[in-house]
Amino acid sequence: MGLFTSSRDKVKASPIKGQDGPLQESTILNALKAVQDPDLHKDIVTLGFIKNLKISESLIAFEVNLTTPACPMKERIKNDCLSVLGDLAGGRKIEITMTAENPEKRPINAQLEASLGRVKNIIAVASGKGGVGKSTTTTNLAYALNALGAKVGILDADIYGPSIPLMTRPDAPNHNANNMLLPPEVDGVKIISMGLFTEKGKATILRGPMAGNVIRQFLMQVAWGELDYLLIDYPPGTGDIQLTISQTAPLSAAIMVTTPQEMSLIDVRKAVQMFETLKVPLLGVVETMSYFVCDGCEKKHFIFKSSGGEKLSQEFGLPILGRIPLDQSLVVASDEGKPAVKHQPNASGSLAYIECAAQMASQLSILNNKDQQAMHNFHITWK
Amino acid sequence: MATENLQIYDIKQEDERTLTIKWNSGRTQALDVVTLRKKCPCAACLDELTRKPILDPHSIPDSVRPLEINAIGRYAIGIKFNDGHATGIYTYDFLSKL
Ligand SMILES: Nc1ncnc2c1ncn2[C@@H]1O[C@H](COP(=O)(O)OP(=O)(O)OP(=O)(O)O)[C@@H](O)[C@H]1O
Ligand SMILES: [Mg+2]
Repeated sequence: MGLFTSSRDKVKASPIKGQDGPLQESTILNALKAVQDPDLHKDIVTLGFIKNLKISESLIAFEVNLTTPACPMKERIKNDCLSVLGDLAGGRKIEITMTAENPEKRPINAQLEASLGRVKNIIAVASGKGGVGKSTTTTNLAYALNALGAKVGILDADIYGPSIPLMTRPDAPNHNANNMLLPPEVDGVKIISMGLFTEKGKATILRGPMAGNVIRQFLMQVAWGELDYLLIDYPPGTGDIQLTISQTAPLSAAIMVTTPQEMSLIDVRKAVQMFETLKVPLLGVVETMSYFVCDGCEKKHFIFKSSGGEKLSQEFGLPILGRIPLDQSLVVASDEGKPAVKHQPNASGSLAYIECAAQMASQLSILNNKDQQAMHNFHITWK
Repeated sequence: MATENLQIYDIKQEDERTLTIKWNSGRTQALDVVTLRKKCPCAACLDELTRKPILDPHSIPDSVRPLEINAIGRYAIGIKFNDGHATGIYTYDFLSKL
């Protein structure tokens, strides 16, 4: 199937020299088996990533459908494909489209279908305490994922102290024909926050007595459209509000933000337990304000003796997704409404967030592509 | 610090002092448990900042053995040794590079 044989073929000199017959799909697929997904440790053919393979006289075209958008390995996989096909192509143009789809679609409440039906991953950004850098992390991760090629939205769930609008400066939201809110976009990232509404607007939204109602409205009445990631910036603390949000939003996963100084893990433990009870997988820990890079030398100065992130990671078995340095440009950028990752991509904080986003995407890829063979709960008694 | 996202397909006690791990990469790795104890990556054995060893490997007797080995999340194993030491988190990444 997929062979291109018209009478014109015979007129032109065959581009496939030294080979018997026309180029077969199986030949291409066999060659592509040499390309591994570095995250999943299997070849991309066996993983079923190759879609819509088409071979013609002048072209080899196919899609590589990865398990996670913003896959940090995207370029590498594409280049590997190009290099294994180089010799076989016989002068044909090779056209590779990189796509992403999640194998398991979360079952989603019918009420949420219109708003969230095309949102692939909903990620909670939570912490035990306030002021640890959740909002800074949410904003910068959003722009880092966006830079990796993903469609991203931010839902600011901090109803009483929304800081995302200050960090990004979005316009007021409009409504569509179905009376759903259209989230304003800032540099390609969609944003909804209590801070976008006028006092009058807030009054309408806050008619319901509970923050959970607001979150429900943000989840049900916002036309998010197609998104690879919707990041939810949590309010500080681990009370009822956080629980309500976690129960209302169909979360795919959560990440925990902490600082090195956060040595009392009581609050963090509560947050972790909340997600565990709700069966929301924890992707890992982001440690902010971890170390200091001074102007003179490029060395990382870990000014805190111990590391809250590491303690958390050890106690709960979570990988550290990233360690973000103390970086004044993150603060200035946030204050000016110009996210550092977007506007100063080479700042030490931005670089750390970009790497962190790649780690997050990798961890999600593992989570989404549940490897049946992988063992996660072993216990060995030594004899 | 790009982790390779290794997963364990099988892990078992091979003999009296060898632990074998079958990785998703297809590789099977034999690990000497005494070496694992000597290379413990915990903060008390390895300086967190400089990554220089604090533990003197000669102080560990060849008779040291695990009591039990447990999964930690999806990225590491924890080993409780019979000398009372149990704080090491051996990440898959770390193990695969031994
Ligand atoms: N890596 C960093 N280096 C320096 N300053 C930082 C860093 N990360 C965050 N900050 C600063 O710390 C303060 C708190 O950050 P942020 O608002 O992101 O925390 P939060 O956890 O969202 O707080 P809240 O609990 O109030 O919502 C801000 O002034 C921010 O600019
Ligand atoms: Mg905040």
